[in-house]
Amino acid sequence: MEPTTIKIILAGEGGQGTQTIAKILSATAAEEGFEVAYIPSFGVEQRGSPSIAFLTISSDEIRYPRFDTADFAVILQERAISSVAKYTTPETTIIFDSSTVSPATFMTKKIFGIPATKLASENLAPKSFNVLVIGALSRLLSLPAEKTWQMTAQVLGKKFKTEDVKEKNHQIFLLGKDFKLEEDNFTKPTFVPQQGAIQMRGEGKRATIIPDHCKSCGICIDKCPAKALTLGNKLGLFSVPIPEIDLKKCTACDTCSRFCPDGAIKIEKEN
Amino acid sequence: MDNFSPKSWNQESKPHLFCPGCGHAIALKQLGYAIDELGIQQKTTLGIDIGCSLLVWDFFNVDTVQTHHGRTTPVMVGYKIAKPERIALAYMGDGGGYAIGLQSLIHAAFRNNPITVILINNENYAMTGGQLSPTTETNVKTTTSPSGKDIKFGPGFKGPELLRQAANEKGFIARASVSNPIQLKNLLIKAIKNQTENNSFSFVEVLSICPINWKTDAQQSFARLKEMEKYYPIGEIK
Repeated sequence: MEPTTIKIILAGEGGQGTQTIAKILSATAAEEGFEVAYIPSFGVEQRGSPSIAFLTISSDEIRYPRFDTADFAVILQERAISSVAKYTTPETTIIFDSSTVSPATFMTKKIFGIPATKLASENLAPKSFNVLVIGALSRLLSLPAEKTWQMTAQVLGKKFKTEDVKEKNHQIFLLGKDFKLEEDNFTKPTFVPQQGAIQMRGEGKRATIIPDHCKSCGICIDKCPAKALTLGNKLGLFSVPIPEIDLKKCTACDTCSRFCPDGAIKIEKEN
Repeated sequence: MDNFSPKSWNQESKPHLFCPGCGHAIALKQLGYAIDELGIQQKTTLGIDIGCSLLVWDFFNVDTVQTHHGRTTPVMVGYKIAKPERIALAYMGDGGGYAIGLQSLIHAAFRNNPITVILINNENYAMTGGQLSPTTETNVKTTTSPSGKDIKFGPGFKGPELLRQAANEKGFIARASVSNPIQLKNLLIKAIKNQTENNSFSFVEVLSICPINWKTDAQQSFARLKEMEKYYPIGEIK
């Protein structure tokens, strides 16, 4: 058998699960008897900066774990494009999250999209998006799906707090595995998180939320004395759900605004 | 956008780089309101430490100095000696202030240097992945104490209580918590006024939350903060 080597670069944002994807794929490939090298590369921040994983899977011995040209580039975040650009050639196959990224700048022939954020938030929660990407990549790399899922369940074991959550994540995984990668011209993302300011009026109050700033930490919901806030369906920064306000319950006490670490919420009384 | 956040915040750097639910940003919001209320945005210089606190480098529209780890206090002391008309704030975490930079902090308090030190205590080294820090309480699990902090590493370090022994009688030392932002803001104002009006040292420790490294959600974070407040009493200490 000819020795084969696949070089994959994964690029996303800290907190998205990029390194988790790489960890699970490399562990599965290692169990399958391949030689694997995995190098994480990220900045000092735990969240919000580009996070890159260099993954080499080979049937032969790996002499050096870094590489200059990737066979596959997986792009999960718009801001990560520039970090990946120098590792791509016209031969590189690009897989990207077509719901949030528009890689119009790449000049490669093979470019496939998977609307991962959209599918994940429609089917379970935006957080489960990396499980979906693992599913899609396992088929692409011809890794056995069942073993990949078992490894996913093992690595993410603690995060699946109930059997129900685990089962739903399995469905998401299978959805990713069976999803036919899109081929299109991809001039712009199909699914954009909320932008601008969301304003709500009523009951003599005016509530404003800036989804671009909200990180869905939930402090406003915990601190609201009137329990007027809940997590809603609209998505903000990092494709996470932003709070919704029940203006009937709200007393415009300004507690949420006082606590909000990101300056994303304000409720005022109108005269 | 000015009524969402303090006027002294640099809106161009928002959304900032802190994790979702970070206590740093809640404390910085109150610091921003304190700067707005005192009207000292043009007169202030902020020194920042290594650790999560370095993410403040473009947070405010005030002059900011990035210093070495634990050396924020001496840099701001020197700055204040060179430029006495400016207001010097030193912003650091518990690792920078209580571990590597403790001797600088004690001597600044001892010499009564007119600077204001703001120290965020979240009981771990958050930027590097939540390792054990001097302020971690006994039996608390961190990445370097997976079975809970052993008593042989000492109980949680009470910084303000230590500084109270060393500080000049004009010094102002207090502990606040992000669970009570209004009290936090008032203590910060009082600390800055102690620098400008009394020309004396002031120190505010802020008990903070770290949902990412504590692995808690908003509700659990504030529940743990409440437990912390039992061990680290809130209020003016000197």
